[in-house]
Amino acid sequence: MIHPFQSVASNSDGSLLFFVIKNSILVYSVKDSNDEFKLVGEWSDEADSTAIIKEKVTKEQQRQLAENTAKKLKANDGTALPQEHKEAKIPKPGQGAPPIYQYIRNVKLSRDGKWLFACTDSDKAIVMFEISAEDKNNCLRLAKRQRLPKRPNAITTTIDDKQLIVADKFGDLYSFGVNDDQPCVNPEPILGHVSLLTDVAIGLDSNGKQLVFTSDRDEHIRITHFPQSFIIDKWLFGHKEFISTMCLPVWAPELLFSAGGESSIFSWNWQTGELLDRFNIAELIQPFLTENHLAPDRFQNKEGNLIEYSVSKIVTFDSLPLIAFFIEATKAIFTCQINRDSGKIALKQVLEVPYNVVSLACAETTGELIATLDNQNSHDKNFVAFISMDVDKFHINQSKQQKFDDFINSRLSDNEIANIEQEGIYPLYHVASLRKRGEH
Amino acid sequence: RAHSNPFSDHQLEYPLSPNDMDWRKLYPYFYDESKGDMTKEVTIADIGCGFGGLLIDLSPAFPDKLILGMEIRVQVTNYVEDRIIALRANNVKTNAYQNINVLRGNAMKFLPNFFHQAQLEKMFFCFPDPHFKQRKHKARIITNTLLSEYAYVLKEGGIIYTITDVLDLHEWMAKHLTEHPLFERLSQEWEDQDECVKIMRHATEEGKKVERKKGDKYVACFKRLPTPEII
Repeated sequence: MIHPFQSVASNSDGSLLFFVIKNSILVYSVKDSNDEFKLVGEWSDEADSTAIIKEKVTKEQQRQLAENTAKKLKANDGTALPQEHKEAKIPKPGQGAPPIYQYIRNVKLSRDGKWLFACTDSDKAIVMFEISAEDKNNCLRLAKRQRLPKRPNAITTTIDDKQLIVADKFGDLYSFGVNDDQPCVNPEPILGHVSLLTDVAIGLDSNGKQLVFTSDRDEHIRITHFPQSFIIDKWLFGHKEFISTMCLPVWAPELLFSAGGESSIFSWNWQTGELLDRFNIAELIQPFLTENHLAPDRFQNKEGNLIEYSVSKIVTFDSLPLIAFFIEATKAIFTCQINRDSGKIALKQVLEVPYNVVSLACAETTGELIATLDNQNSHDKNFVAFISMDVDKFHINQSKQQKFDDFINSRLSDNEIANIEQEGIYPLYHVASLRKRGEH
Repeated sequence: RAHSNPFSDHQLEYPLSPNDMDWRKLYPYFYDESKGDMTKEVTIADIGCGFGGLLIDLSPAFPDKLILGMEIRVQVTNYVEDRIIALRANNVKTNAYQNINVLRGNAMKFLPNFFHQAQLEKMFFCFPDPHFKQRKHKARIITNTLLSEYAYVLKEGGIIYTITDVLDLHEWMAKHLTEHPLFERLSQEWEDQDECVKIMRHATEEGKKVERKKGDKYVACFKRLPTPEII
């Protein structure tokens, strides 16, 4: 079987689609007239991290040994006692060690569509590609690999696309020059939360000044000036669970949509700090919930019916006052109409797709939604749902989906990376694990 | 327990936002029944207040200010609570110690849930956990990233007080505060004339312990600078 696409990005008119399978990125062009697909770019992460891990382990061993040596035992009279130096406890990599996969967690395009950024899971790096349409063989030109101290989780760029902004799982935010030749050696965070960062976005205030938005696992959305990231503008308070996604629409720069581990989509005027609406999805999502949404045994209630679900991602378009979102491990995509003046959210459509949505992208200018699906039980069908706008209504483009399936089967059926057994599937659902479980 | 991990998901209680914080329970004497509101707001915070020695000595020195201690360890918080209840009970006639209280919280995560922008006049960091290990430095209470949050809740001209007996930590705190664009170190002369520095040197349990052991105490104080023009 062919591995499901675990992440997707689209350029603004949907003519270039970027998909991630395990450790590879595939770029397909789409001809608008007849939905004809073509492979135009490809890259697999073959980086061998064994050397890096070895270096790290050796360093840690030396550190521990030095620490053990420094620990002095004192006798009762205060004189130092000779001490055996304990061996370091760190295991050495070698035979029998688990294989190391260079999984790519997600991909993101720059605003101008000229750069692609990928977060790698295992070696904690951002890989940056220049997208060159001229290169007929491969449009992805690897520019550099920026390693980070902790695992990167979310990416955005400044309004002018000159700086790449990276949020990591340790709560720190970094900024890198997109056009810098060399990766930064010892990057210092520009701001930090004492919490896992889940998303990052850049917005402009009414004076045209940039602000950076960071959301975390502790219900916080923080708004900070950029580049003066030591000046905090405000926090947006109201979430009661982790936040997983934020969305800043172009058509109303003062609005912000956010959601995560609770049953509402939040609509804010971030400039005033006012919560404008809380759109409850509890009833809408009901028909799409399965036993996969039951809380884990350890946290389950007596009746065994405690349900937990999380909003995975919210997207919007450039000119339409609409948002689209999905709940992790469900077969539905919701679209909502936004009142431009009040910020109120109203349901527009519920679109049911054949399998659980894994990731969602949108072609901002054409209003098309591209959702990758968990099609592992489909016998290599339904990799992607294409949802397009047709006279004010969204509909699932069946013929495009069919053409894409045929294309993928003809292209990937003998691809070594893409073909896998069931157990070789990259974990497709990781938002639910952000839920906090109090320790004491 | 001597330590508590600031990164873990403790079952903490914290308000949804500063507007949702019910201060009446902590400072009933400063609650105006007729107006249904507090007559004062907290302006002095002792972050990681430990056993409450500083709070208790600051109380008579600033009788018209509300002073809050935040402490992450449950048992220590309970102890300080009991101590304040006893002090209030023994001073019913004078209403002394009505202006101090303590709550259990993780200031590194949730400080902005408690305080509005520019609400605080003074913040104390007395004998914080040194977190000697290099890779645990993010767990230190003074880091360049957290300082921006402290600058947010401090008003212009507000003061950050630090004291420690660990030279390495003192240098670390002074370095980060000095480097931060919103803070400026205050001079030795300023420290010598400041009442809080005097209290801080002698009031806390940690401070007394260091004194008994004839150890050194390192003080550094910083002023919150005006926020520069946004570029």
